[in-house]
Amino acid sequence: MPEGKSLFREVLPKQGQLSVEDVATMVLCKPKLLPLKSVTLEKLEKMQRAAQETIRQQEVAQREQQQQSQQ
Amino acid sequence: MVYVDEIDIDQEGIAEMMLDENAIAQVARPGTSLKLPGTSQGGGPSPAVRPVTQSGRPVTGFVRPSTQSGRPGTMEQAIRTPRTAHTARPITSASGRYVRLGTASMLTNPEGPFINLSRLNLAKYAQKPKLAKALFEYIFHHENDVKNALDLAALATEHAQYKDWWWKVQIGKCYYRLGLYREAEKQFKSALKQQDMVDTVLYLAKVYFRLDQPLTALHLFKQGLDKFPGEVTLLCGIARIYEEMNNISLAAEYYREVLKQDNTHVEAIACIGSNHFYSDQPEIALRFYRRLLQMGVYNCQLFNNLGLCCFFAQQYDMTLTSLERALSLAENEEEAADVWYNLGHVAVGIGDLNLAYQCFKLTLANNNDHAEAYNNLAVLEIRRGHVEQARALLQTASSLAPHMYEPHFNFAALSDQVGDLQRSYIAAQKSKEAFPGHVDTQQLIKQLKQHFAML
Repeated sequence: MPEGKSLFREVLPKQGQLSVEDVATMVLCKPKLLPLKSVTLEKLEKMQRAAQETIRQQEVAQREQQQQSQQ
Repeated sequence: MVYVDEIDIDQEGIAEMMLDENAIAQVARPGTSLKLPGTSQGGGPSPAVRPVTQSGRPVTGFVRPSTQSGRPGTMEQAIRTPRTAHTARPITSASGRYVRLGTASMLTNPEGPFINLSRLNLAKYAQKPKLAKALFEYIFHHENDVKNALDLAALATEHAQYKDWWWKVQIGKCYYRLGLYREAEKQFKSALKQQDMVDTVLYLAKVYFRLDQPLTALHLFKQGLDKFPGEVTLLCGIARIYEEMNNISLAAEYYREVLKQDNTHVEAIACIGSNHFYSDQPEIALRFYRRLLQMGVYNCQLFNNLGLCCFFAQQYDMTLTSLERALSLAENEEEAADVWYNLGHVAVGIGDLNLAYQCFKLTLANNNDHAEAYNNLAVLEIRRGHVEQARALLQTASSLAPHMYEPHFNFAALSDQVGDLQRSYIAAQKSKEAFPGHVDTQQLIKQLKQHFAML
């Protein structure tokens, strides 16, 4: 593209002082790969969730009983 | 019925960690302790590329019960939930999972316990070696009654005239649970003298880990490897210790060794993968994570990592589908928050700042304590010219995660721009503490010092 070249010519300063201002940019936190969980940890969490679920159900049942007895 | 690996299960409570008198040297020499993350012998990645956990260690590719968070430095940090695992830490291990699980098993048995331990005549059962072993396992693993288990084991080993290594290992396990590490060490060592077993080596290494003697544990593992060449669990133990000591390159070497023996080892593949990702080779990391997918690992974390690797390896067609899949597989809000956070990064990468803003907002909607999202949101707010909002967000981020240098540095740079030099200096000092090698922080501090000298 010979015509294009004549249109845009780069400017390279050859004389005088060249100054560059270094502006500190803000830093983003980095993307986070999630660690995989070991089988043991997964099992433990599953057991804990199940245990909490049973406790919650029992509490709900208790509360219902109390309400019924109050009525 | 769920079986849990006893070697892997290990959780330190807050009290054990903060009131820990077991470590031999309170001020350990560099490279001999697991408590000082800053004492890496080289090979550790800089926090500029790899995020760090609360204790100042680079994030790992794999979590196990014992490495959920590393050791926090202060009480405040200990109470705060760690970044990698969102289950709260128990006050002591005596109130921890063992006990909660114990009560859960009681709840499921409405007629009461299967065996009433207090009415057992332990001395009688200790006479019958075969029955005693089964009974011990029941008491130890199912009932979680360590004291009765120890009583039975002590009687049984006496009956076996101290010649049965199995009972010694069991006594050691009981002592370990009770926190009597030195006694446990003695039992395990004596058992090892009688019979070389991989399990015993692993238990003994666990004791040394608790005593904060990683070098002794390393030595032990290497001795074990002489007797059991190529044993995967031992190699993996060495790799874990190097990783905890921040020596990532050696850790990766040992994880490779593990893969040579067992090429389906999930932990090794995940750790090597994350290592490649953070050393600027996402396309190689992608291969490792794809391998995990082929092996049948199918969860939120894996698809999140695949999505990120695809994006940074410029395979844009797979990025969003993987991350979408990760979102649909997320089991709780914290996992979803992390996926949204990474989606925000993808959005920043393609220059769609509005999408990024929304992603980070969604992260915070899912997990209100996500410090990284606060920081990134603040950076976006600064670009929009909302300085006051950005300042508030950065303050939240730095109070949530004082171990990260980014919010401190951003706050310092922002305060410097608006002319609040005093606050800028304080924040810059905190940033330097979190990441001493950060060049921009050093320059900012130098500049501020010049300002102050001129006053």
